[in-house]
Amino acid sequence: MALSGYLATSFVYLGVYVLACWAMNLQYGVTGIYNLAFIIFQSAGAYTAAVLSLGPSSQNSSFQQYIGGYRLPFPLPILAGAVVAGVLSLVVGLVVLRRLRSDYQAIVMLTLSVMASLLVISAVPLFNGPAGLSLVPQPLATTFNVSPVTYSWLYGGFCAGLCLIVYVFVRRITSSPLGRALRTVRENDAAAAALGKNVNALRLFSFVAGGAIAGLSGALLVGYIGVWAPSTWGYAETIVVLTAVIIGGSGNDAGAFLGALLVPVLIVQGSTFIPQFGPPELVPALQWILIGVLGLVFVYFWPRGIIPERLRRFAPERPTHEPLLGAERSGSPTLE
Amino acid sequence: MLEPVPAATGASGAASLVASGGQAELLVLEDLHKSFGGVRAVAGATLSVPRGQITGLIGPNGAGKSTVVGLIGGSLRPDTGRIEFDGRPITGLPAYRRARLGLVRTYQLSSEFRRLTVLENMVAAAPMQRGERFRVLLQGRRAWRDEERQLASKARGLLDRFALGDKENEYAGNLSGGQKRLLEIARSLMARPVLLLLDEPMAGVNPTFSRTIERYLAEVNEEGVSMVLVEHELDVVERLCDSVVVMARGEVIARGDMSDVRSRPEVRNAYLVG
Amino acid sequence: MNTLVQAIGFGLVSAAIIAVAAVGFTMQFGVTNILNLAYGDVMTASAYIGYLVNNAGLSIAYSLVVGAVVGGALSLALNRYLFRRYIRHGTQLFGMIVVTLSVAVIIQNILLVSFGPSFFVYRIPLGGGIKLGPARFSGVQLVIMAIAVVTMALVHVGLTRTRLGKCMRATACDAVLAQTCGVFTDRVVDAAWLLSGMLCGLAGVVLVLSTTAFQSTTGSEFLILIVAAAMLGGVGQAHGAMIAAVIVGVITSITAAYSNPSYQDIAGFGVLVIVLLWRPRGLFGKVEGERGIP
Repeated sequence: MALSGYLATSFVYLGVYVLACWAMNLQYGVTGIYNLAFIIFQSAGAYTAAVLSLGPSSQNSSFQQYIGGYRLPFPLPILAGAVVAGVLSLVVGLVVLRRLRSDYQAIVMLTLSVMASLLVISAVPLFNGPAGLSLVPQPLATTFNVSPVTYSWLYGGFCAGLCLIVYVFVRRITSSPLGRALRTVRENDAAAAALGKNVNALRLFSFVAGGAIAGLSGALLVGYIGVWAPSTWGYAETIVVLTAVIIGGSGNDAGAFLGALLVPVLIVQGSTFIPQFGPPELVPALQWILIGVLGLVFVYFWPRGIIPERLRRFAPERPTHEPLLGAERSGSPTLE
Repeated sequence: MLEPVPAATGASGAASLVASGGQAELLVLEDLHKSFGGVRAVAGATLSVPRGQITGLIGPNGAGKSTVVGLIGGSLRPDTGRIEFDGRPITGLPAYRRARLGLVRTYQLSSEFRRLTVLENMVAAAPMQRGERFRVLLQGRRAWRDEERQLASKARGLLDRFALGDKENEYAGNLSGGQKRLLEIARSLMARPVLLLLDEPMAGVNPTFSRTIERYLAEVNEEGVSMVLVEHELDVVERLCDSVVVMARGEVIARGDMSDVRSRPEVRNAYLVG
Repeated sequence: MNTLVQAIGFGLVSAAIIAVAAVGFTMQFGVTNILNLAYGDVMTASAYIGYLVNNAGLSIAYSLVVGAVVGGALSLALNRYLFRRYIRHGTQLFGMIVVTLSVAVIIQNILLVSFGPSFFVYRIPLGGGIKLGPARFSGVQLVIMAIAVVTMALVHVGLTRTRLGKCMRATACDAVLAQTCGVFTDRVVDAAWLLSGMLCGLAGVVLVLSTTAFQSTTGSEFLILIVAAAMLGGVGQAHGAMIAAVIVGVITSITAAYSNPSYQDIAGFGVLVIVLLWRPRGLFGKVEGERGIP
């Protein structure tokens, strides 16, 4: 694949995975939720966007079965993806998010992930079972009649734009007292409750916000690649995002961005740039081994990641109304 | 300086023994029972805690003190029995609601927010901040920065008072054991407590430092914060507490003045038999 | 009625496999407090080595033994040279989950690279079988159940009669306490991983005997059912795991018989979710707290 085509594709994937990593960071890095079922919500977004943008299933000479098929115009399927994922997060969160020791919580989530996968595979009329959905139309592809590479750049630009919008909201959360409250839930939820924090509501909020963003990222991805099948969203995919957040730096947005760049994009997508050697399953298998090894290495040596959560300072107290000096955090102007 | 006891209860300072609830008894436990899988930790505990005082809760190991603290704080639900705080029934209320009413509990083991700075720990402890509402998503910084500034100021004042002023940008997890204890107490004051539930604040602290903590607690009490103090060191209890409640085998077996209670046969027996 | 009996019959076969695996898993978890998500992949690795033995012309008995040895050695090595290092370094519970998941991914893909993606089959010259009422058991299934019963009996004797077994049960209850009582925890832990690893390896070979065809993902697909049985039985409770294995095996089998077979695993997983959410200590576990890692 030519270099510019590869770069364009990477650009799209960067946008998609930055969103996914911010979502995972919000849940795991900031709030301490061990969401090993993350992939379910990204998939919910993808499936929703897919079945809403596809035409009625009967028209496809019935080689795909699925619900929906309303052929909704851009950007509705994408927005719907985020909303459905958010609602699903709410439902799941209400049932499974509770004071459970961390590894049990992780197991519950992991099991849900596998169950969801099995459910979709078994209930074929839902999303076409194990074969998955294909021929999902690319948004506005026919409106802009451009080359695939140009389309990729445009799509990547669109993803980047969405990232900026989402960033505003994510930033609002993480840099506000709300973000700090979420971090107290992560650090010690019993102590947080003893100081008046509604831990369940805070966790649920983080879970739903993260879930919606994850759904958005899934919706964007399916619009680009046009296919989505259970084999592409096993629980192992969650490990990719989680490892990315751990490596990049959990608890902060820049770290999550870096993680998205390094792991999903460079490692996973970078393989398309390496000449195929050996049997076809060799390179993906090596990728997985690399991800596993990276995970092991970082958890041991750099558990906080490459860009650790930064120290948050408050603006210094000023006895007079002098201009602020180098205040980083929740500072305030001198006069109202 | 500690600010007056919050408007939420309409009380202000130790002078007001007749608060909104109209009672001198701030906390009332009625016939509480709690079992854990067949083991009866608390079997019919009844006690009341007067307003404005430091009440000690003592007893041998296994007496049920920690369980009672959990029941009062809200981390545990009683099997049967009632709890009333400041005139209102709180038996079914979750811990965070009790904290918002002014019933603040500290933990025995380190419960500082390790990866938050000391100042963040303090500011985070203030209840019901405007900046913690979900609405923040739509509003941005402007909605909460004033409150934040005020809280930071108040927090710094408290930190100075507890000799932690220069540590404000340290991660709380890096403090020494004693400093963590002080932070715990200072932090709980940010939560505008009416009643502080202290679960062995001197545990594992050297005797000199223990005196320091005692001094602080006495000061805080004088400014109007009532306290329930679970403690093993009986001389600390004697110095600090206005009265004590003695528990053994899940029940309250005595209450009154420390010197008075100390000599009672049932209390001595409880400590011997354990 | 016939369907029910057949289903129960088949459920017992599943239970046999799950039991051997779950007892090993629960011992690892009980003694070291590590939720070893690489367990399924160690099973697969043992199955592959056992296959090599079988393919070289030796009988299944050798495969079983070799599988057990491989499982034991690999598990011991993993704990000693990897997991323990992380724990001593300060990694907490969820960090260990990431570690075991990473190890799982690594093992699975090493197997994939080494053996390729195709399915492998053991050569099993076992015919015959018996009929118990409406239930039919093939020769292989009978062997599997026999292996399970014998293994469980040995485990029972080992845990209750030998000093090592008693040490392990003590450590499973409270490692700190066991240490102060003079039980040398490190060696007990090593032994626990070796023995449970042998169960793991044995279970791996037994599993592929029943599924006949297997590939690099076979063991990890089975993992959640194993965890389900282990949690249902109560962490660290070997006897609990045995009973739970029967329950899980029969539930999944009945679900398969009376509804779409593809839902059978979902039922088993549902058991796990319900257990963890509603009663994390399972049927026979001690009261759970957030136990530390010894």
